[in-house]
Amino acid sequence: MAKRRKRDKKKRPIPITVIAVAIVALFLIRLYQVFEPLVRNQVFLHGITGPLTTGWKLTALGSAFLSSAIYLLLSLAGIVVLIAFLRLRRWSWVILMAWTGVSMVISLVDYFYGRPNYAVMISNVIIAFALNINEVQAIFGIRSSDVPSQ
Amino acid sequence: MSPVNDRPSMPVTASDLELLRKFEPVVCYTKGEQFYPAAVEDYIHECSLWDHQPDGHDVQLVRQGDLSMEKLIESRPAGFGSVRYLRFIEPLSLAESAQVLADQLLLRRKLGDYFHAGIGRLARGGILPRLLDGLFSLSFLLRGRVSAATAAAAELDYNAMLAENRKHTYYGRVTRQNGWTMLQYWYFFCFNSWRSGFHGVNDHESDWEMVTIYMYEQDGQLIPEWAAYASHDFKGDDLRRRWDDHDELKKVEQSHPVVYAGAGSHASYFRRGEYQAEVSLPMPGWFSGLIRSWNKLWTEMLGQPAIGTIHIPFVDFARGDGLRLGTGGHEPWSPVLIDESTAWVSQFRGLWGLFARDPISGENAPAGPMYNRDGTPRGSWYDPLGFAGLDKVPPPPQMQKMLAENCDLLSRRQEELQDLIPRKAGELQAKGARQKGMEGNPHLSRQYAALEKEINSLSTEVRNLRREVSENTALLQGLGRRLEQLGAGRQDDPHAHIRHMAVPDDPTQVLRFDRAAETWAAVSLSLLLFAIAALVFFAPGYIWAGLAIILILFVVAESFLRGAFVQTVGRITLLLAMITALILLVHFWKWVIVGALVVMGISLMIQRLRELTG
Repeated sequence: MAKRRKRDKKKRPIPITVIAVAIVALFLIRLYQVFEPLVRNQVFLHGITGPLTTGWKLTALGSAFLSSAIYLLLSLAGIVVLIAFLRLRRWSWVILMAWTGVSMVISLVDYFYGRPNYAVMISNVIIAFALNINEVQAIFGIRSSDVPSQ
Repeated sequence: MSPVNDRPSMPVTASDLELLRKFEPVVCYTKGEQFYPAAVEDYIHECSLWDHQPDGHDVQLVRQGDLSMEKLIESRPAGFGSVRYLRFIEPLSLAESAQVLADQLLLRRKLGDYFHAGIGRLARGGILPRLLDGLFSLSFLLRGRVSAATAAAAELDYNAMLAENRKHTYYGRVTRQNGWTMLQYWYFFCFNSWRSGFHGVNDHESDWEMVTIYMYEQDGQLIPEWAAYASHDFKGDDLRRRWDDHDELKKVEQSHPVVYAGAGSHASYFRRGEYQAEVSLPMPGWFSGLIRSWNKLWTEMLGQPAIGTIHIPFVDFARGDGLRLGTGGHEPWSPVLIDESTAWVSQFRGLWGLFARDPISGENAPAGPMYNRDGTPRGSWYDPLGFAGLDKVPPPPQMQKMLAENCDLLSRRQEELQDLIPRKAGELQAKGARQKGMEGNPHLSRQYAALEKEINSLSTEVRNLRREVSENTALLQGLGRRLEQLGAGRQDDPHAHIRHMAVPDDPTQVLRFDRAAETWAAVSLSLLLFAIAALVFFAPGYIWAGLAIILILFVVAESFLRGAFVQTVGRITLLLAMITALILLVHFWKWVIVGALVVMGISLMIQRLRELTG
């Protein structure tokens, strides 16, 4: 029987896989948020039936398109960050942490104004804590694994 | 060679003045310093004498120009709660204030001795320290304060005094306690211009600073062992440096310690540099406990830096690039001997300048060398050893003798114990044997109980004696090692006694902040207030959310300029995650418990099944 070859690649730590899964979950939520306004306005059934703007103001349909476009951009950016993150790029850690912070602010504001999105909140908490793990930070070169942070 | 051979010395027969002159410090001031040590007589002549009454009124006792040293110490009864004080600068009208401020500008131009704070004063602290700085500045709206015009007038008057009689006086005192001979050098300044001249904490009329040199006697010679400089925020052991600590205690011609004086504050430092004030905020016990718990969670579990002392952006500039007074300096000293018999020292308990009615005293003038502001005796005068934490330290020649005495005492006690313990232990065994003989005899129950009590007590005594032997053995070893070290002439680490050392800011760290960071530091607090005002005006419905977002944005902007963006973003996100987790826990606690139980159940089951099948 042929001898099993040792893998020469470093094994990816579990927290990174957890973060990747959470990003995918967030991606799916965002994807839902891309299509939901368009479905609500029956764009897929009847097409664009009215104007997107009246003067300088957006109509309901215009708002739906804008919100879909923003979430689409966020989802696409999320994919780029996810790929970079899985390839252990330092900048992807920084962007992901900042992004999670912004997302957390938005979800907290939404929560306190009666529009909670618990799925996003849970994903954010998981990502934030996982990104803070020493082992993860050491892999991304944020802090050394043996020296306590200053 | 004995480590003291390279030290300067003076015969014990030398006069007090000779001793003072031999070791008088060289004081280096910062370029732009406005006030140097002056003679009290010249100052008194320019002052008026006042009483602040408990009802809030101020009564003038002696007019400016009429005051002399004799009149200063005249006995005048005063009621409880009154404050006697001198006034160097009389109240100024608006026109006079404008005039002195203009004259001050002209004087500075004439002297050409400008101070530049340089980049980095405000940027040295984060947004929280600057917020404290802002609140501190605003507090002057409520507190009594010395005006900028008063500071300007003081500078003009001092320069006029200096032009008339240019000399720099120190008041020297020689005192002896517990085998130490102490040389105290007291410096009097007409004004402390730290706030108005150097962006510091306070201004006040008059200022007293002090340096002490501690000497011991050996073979008929007095040899310096320590030097202590009075400084902000430090006390006891932290104030003194050993004579052979050449890194910290610089000397001119081996016998004159070098002092770097803070610009405006005149506080004394061992090393030249810029010192940032640090405060540990006084907090109630429960709050400190809360901080400790938070630090445990934040630091130990999440690996973030702990909350500690807060740095406030008040810098004491002790650059030493200005006038140098003393041996080898620009100008010499004029020494004057003082002691308890000097009338103005002991008989005037009032303030040596304006009583500004500042409740936290920062702007009130200090009292003389012998007293505190409230008229009570000053510790550094009546207990100069305790002032520098030397009350527990014997002079070096006595140290060896005291150690040997301690060793003898302990050795004798050990001999006593070697004899006592076997006797007591034998007694205990005999009692134990007797108790054993009583067992099975119900009619001896009373005696049995009494004996048991005796046995317990004796057992405790024997255990304590054995512990004492063990502790004494360890102590004797320590004392022996110490004696051996002293016998071999090996000195301790010169910093071993220091718990908190004044360290100047690292110049490379200061220069890290560029112009953008400094500008941001200067305007950020005002911008923050404008943003909050705009929020209140335009979006009052979103006040809390808006406030949180604005604060986060400011902190992130700050961190970007300070080069700490990554760490700050990490910390903010972590903090938000903790808040979010708490909310989720409140809403889904049942799910959390169920989930935890299920996970624990599965984990246990896997372990047990492995055991079963393994």
